[in-house]
Amino acid sequence: MAGEVAGPPDDPELLARFNPRVASGEQIEAGEWMPAEYRFEALRLIQMHANSEIMGALPEREWIPRAPTLARKMALTAKVQDEVGHAMLLYRVAETLGRSREEMFAELVEGRSRFHNVFHYPAETWADVAIIQVFVDGAAMQTQGALRSCSYAPYARVLKRICYEEDFHIQLGLDVWRALAEGTPRQRAMLQDALNRWWTPIIHFFGMPDRVSPHTEKMLAWHIKIKSNEELRQQFLRRFVPIILEYGLDVPDPGLRLVESEQRYVYTEPDWEELKRVGRNNGPKSAERLALRQAFYRQHAWVRDAVTRGAAA
Amino acid sequence: MTGPLEAIADPDVHAAFREWLLRAADDELVIGHRHSEWTGFGPDIESDVALSSIAQDEIGHARAMYAHLVADADRDTDHLAFSRPASEYRHGIFVERENAGWEWSIARLALYERYDALRLRALGASNQEPVAGLARALLREERYHALFADTWLVRMCGGSPEGHARVQAAIDAAWPDALGLFERTDADERLLTSGVLPAGDPRKSWEAAVRPLLESCGLTVPSASAREGGRRGTHTPEFERLLAQMTEVRRSDPEARW
Amino acid sequence: MTAAGSWERRLDAPRDVWAVFLQSRTRDPHIHVGDVHAPDAEMALVVAKENYARRDPCVSLWVVRAGEIHATTADAAEMFDPALDKSYRFGGSYRKQQQVYRSAWRLSHRDEDQ
Repeated sequence: MAGEVAGPPDDPELLARFNPRVASGEQIEAGEWMPAEYRFEALRLIQMHANSEIMGALPEREWIPRAPTLARKMALTAKVQDEVGHAMLLYRVAETLGRSREEMFAELVEGRSRFHNVFHYPAETWADVAIIQVFVDGAAMQTQGALRSCSYAPYARVLKRICYEEDFHIQLGLDVWRALAEGTPRQRAMLQDALNRWWTPIIHFFGMPDRVSPHTEKMLAWHIKIKSNEELRQQFLRRFVPIILEYGLDVPDPGLRLVESEQRYVYTEPDWEELKRVGRNNGPKSAERLALRQAFYRQHAWVRDAVTRGAAA
Repeated sequence: MTGPLEAIADPDVHAAFREWLLRAADDELVIGHRHSEWTGFGPDIESDVALSSIAQDEIGHARAMYAHLVADADRDTDHLAFSRPASEYRHGIFVERENAGWEWSIARLALYERYDALRLRALGASNQEPVAGLARALLREERYHALFADTWLVRMCGGSPEGHARVQAAIDAAWPDALGLFERTDADERLLTSGVLPAGDPRKSWEAAVRPLLESCGLTVPSASAREGGRRGTHTPEFERLLAQMTEVRRSDPEARW
Repeated sequence: MTAAGSWERRLDAPRDVWAVFLQSRTRDPHIHVGDVHAPDAEMALVVAKENYARRDPCVSLWVVRAGEIHATTADAAEMFDPALDKSYRFGGSYRKQQQVYRSAWRLSHRDEDQ
């Protein structure tokens, strides 16, 4: 629960020096003093991001063995590889805030920690790969791009590399998207169907519109939160709705419309209860994917043991 | 496109070389496919990423070799890779086996890479340009593949009694299939007599390369007979499943471009 | 603790974390690009290749246990910030003065050119 951080209160003198530094845009390095709540919130954000990268590999990796050309086979493997690589970078950043990677991994596979809603949904067809690479990665780019200004320097640094690689993902995605959108009627239908199924989870991705609360204010002042949920969602819509229209596909939300004067989209309010359910690891694929992760984690226990014992020797 | 295959005048030898090259391309495609199945499920994130690169390398190698076997590389490479019935694939059954645990996959990688290195050296030393030049370049990547396999093999064997036992079991299980890589057809005889490929005993050379690695890990070198069939197009149900999955999207819309 | 206060420390990292330094081309220095987890140096180098050099040009990698790295603290950063003008260390300030000298010399020796 936000704000309920156990432990001794922060040294008021150190806190008094910390807050204005961060508010003015200074960054905090690994190993520096930080308020307990700052550490808690930064860790929660980064750990969820790391979890999302490793769980995010699961929907797309199902299509690696099925990729329809050698070029697509290599490119999709490379894309999913990047996601796994991002998890590696992000767990290391989380580690600098005080948790071990082993601990965080065990927590994830046991279903006790969270990952982004979009990765709880099935990737039913090859076209889902295009939708994920363009729209899901596109959505993530909005948040990740903003967080490059995050006050925790190790996270900001890693996000630069991540954003650079995400750009490749979106370009690759647009290539697959284009091949399908300009392809056979069956391909176009497959693409539209995938877009229809993914639309709500993507709108959900940015979270509910922020309530004005002391907690949100603090996250903004500490530059752990950079932009509001709605701002990021609008950013996404402005950039990605035109792509749908350009290719003559239907925007799955009939209520979506651009208010020209404000350059703002109005859209049908999605069911936020579904987002809450998914956030509790109760999405359509949550249990199955966590079970799969857990199975491999257990299968590899002897490998970890052999390697650790050997290292200690 | 012109390839080295134009340079062989004798049609029987030409066909033999095509068959030989197709074996290599199919081996690389199928083992690359198997390696790619580990993406996201490796024992640690760093190795997951590394094996994923190895998978991409192998698929890339396959593509480069298929390109030398078709008239129009842009148009026909994928067709050759995806559109044959199972009986026309020429890979060894070793590479089609499903990944049966990390130790199995690493054992296969270690044994296969030594086989592949010998094959690439033989091709590189032949006068069949430009594919010989391709082979010499690919050796650079295969060197890393072998390094990754060896580094893992040593650590699994040396870390714990369970690790050692599991790796030994994997090597024992892999051995007959590994020997099947050396299955010969008429093509091998033709290539030998025509001098396109060097004389020598590939299997002996391979065993001589593998033995020091296994012994340095305290593993016993198995003795078993080869399980053959792959080089003649006789594959297992594991390959039937692989091929069905690999071609699933293509078959869903045969007119489509992807 | 020295008179200078806490100005240096060992980096706090688990034993199995290795810092990776990448050299792009032979004439370049090795740059810290990130870390890997690995049981030992050899494995660290093997995995570092694909984790950090699969896109970027590379001719050489170094790894060292991150916990072996000694570093100055944030507190010490102020010592790196000069208090007074240090332009005496830079060629720029001397070049400008040279220009002034040369023009003055030419003016005073103008008649000798004739």
